[in-house]
Amino acid sequence: MSKFAGFGLVAAYIIHSIIFWLYPFLWGLVIAFKRWNIISPEKEFIGLSNFIGVLYDPLFWISFKNSLYFMAVYVPLSIVSALGVALLLSRIKFLQSFFAVGYLMSYISAGVAYSIVFSLLFSGDGLINTWLSKINITIPWFSDPNIAMASIALIVVWKYLGYYSLIFLAGLQAIPKSLYESASIDGASEWVQFFRITVPLLNPSFTIVLIFAVMLSFNIFTEPYMITGGGPLDSTQTFVMQIYHQTFTALHAGYGSSFAIIVAVISFAFVFVIRKTVERDVT
Amino acid sequence: MTVIRDKKSKKQSRAIKLGIVYILLGLGLIVMVFPYVWMILASFKIPSEIYDRFFPSRFTLENYEMMFSAGQSGSGSLFIRSVFNSLIVSSIATFSVVFIGSITGYALARLRFFGRDFLNYFVLFQMLFPAILFLIPRFLLMLELGWINTYQGMFSPFMVSAWAIFLYTQFYKTIPQELIDAARIDGCSELRIVFSVMLPLSKSVTAIVAIFTFMSTWDEFLWYIIITKEYDLMPLSALLGLFTKGEYNSYPGIQTAGAVLLTVPILILFFFFRKSFSKGIAMSGIKG
Repeated sequence: MSKFAGFGLVAAYIIHSIIFWLYPFLWGLVIAFKRWNIISPEKEFIGLSNFIGVLYDPLFWISFKNSLYFMAVYVPLSIVSALGVALLLSRIKFLQSFFAVGYLMSYISAGVAYSIVFSLLFSGDGLINTWLSKINITIPWFSDPNIAMASIALIVVWKYLGYYSLIFLAGLQAIPKSLYESASIDGASEWVQFFRITVPLLNPSFTIVLIFAVMLSFNIFTEPYMITGGGPLDSTQTFVMQIYHQTFTALHAGYGSSFAIIVAVISFAFVFVIRKTVERDVT
Repeated sequence: MTVIRDKKSKKQSRAIKLGIVYILLGLGLIVMVFPYVWMILASFKIPSEIYDRFFPSRFTLENYEMMFSAGQSGSGSLFIRSVFNSLIVSSIATFSVVFIGSITGYALARLRFFGRDFLNYFVLFQMLFPAILFLIPRFLLMLELGWINTYQGMFSPFMVSAWAIFLYTQFYKTIPQELIDAARIDGCSELRIVFSVMLPLSKSVTAIVAIFTFMSTWDEFLWYIIITKEYDLMPLSALLGLFTKGEYNSYPGIQTAGAVLLTVPILILFFFFRKSFSKGIAMSGIKG
């Protein structure tokens, strides 16, 4: 009897997966090999032309470069600041959850909402520059092509700082206290303890945060779309913006689909390399 | 003597260290909360003060009035409608993710049937694929179904979450078999067992799943701007995003009022369920 019950209970999941997951997945693969502008019924098989076209598309490489630039700012800054906050949080008992919740507040801000807030706060004559101008500095956060992507990375650091901190904090709390006790009996300084105990045993948290951060770097859309629209001088174009543009403005569905597949392969490759190089078995 | 003094100074330096920890955390917290405070203040400012003043010289409701009066001539206030649209889409998605997540998780964790192990792997497998792969073909599917510019077009892809199924499966593996056996002896169907035995025991998982699903569907932007064509049907995130890029481009006051409107419901949810939020992140670290 429970044999059929099992099927009955998973039926909704299976049906949904077939319609909204498997079918689109396969369809995406198929149209990546076709030239198709959505509107016309004509779908011409063109082999690998779309993929080759993407690889010859200057905007693909610009977006790739921008993503790497984003990553170069975002990943180290996120990891250092989140680990810092987690280490501070792990040292206190009183008000610990108050601070943890406070730092998490930024995580719940909607992409559109915090993009609006930061684009006004950091605008040329915005409040941050008004304050900075008192010490004779103004920073063209989003209007200088050299730093616009870094500014976007900065605000995304703000958004996910508390989130990553909590992952690190959970990792820190999983490290047995006895290790630190015996190390300090042996006379190991706090720095030695940090690099010999904390860092190696925190490896699972590092791996997770690193993978999240890298995946995010390749999938960023709302912030550049809202704040800079890809500019100035394409300095904040991203993969997802290109896919969106190619498919829904230029109506090259096949091209957009092969673009998406290439981006997915790139992010898989990055995750694979992280798993191979960073991840360690700590037990 | 020296030993005692040594202990004393050690205690003192520890207290100083702890003080520094609190000061650093406090300063960091100010940076984290500052944009929220600025946003709320800015939404009550007259437009000329939004850029260069932190505190408004006087409070005004005109930003909110202008926002809520948008589109009033035709079908009522656009922004009020959009909140309503967001609530419909996010609620249906959340309800469905919890419902399908729990029944599927129960079957995968506790029932024996052909293909179960395969499905367990398939759930994990699904989580590996980035959403960007599905954006275009799902849109084409919606075209085919005629679901462009409909509620079902907006929520249907979000009705199932592999992540939720995974969490329920893991949790249901820990529930004692006696409880299930007892319910079966009482003549409960498997569906009844999920709703009257399993779900009541998994309130913390349900809270986590529901909150994260509601938040992510409330915040979703890209899918909604693709799938909706008319302002009337847009969820708030899409309407606010497009208006900020378009009609309200030079109205920072209305933009911030909209940002407040988009943020406050999740903020309220956050303060009520803050434990579930932090637990969900610390526990799984799986939801991206």
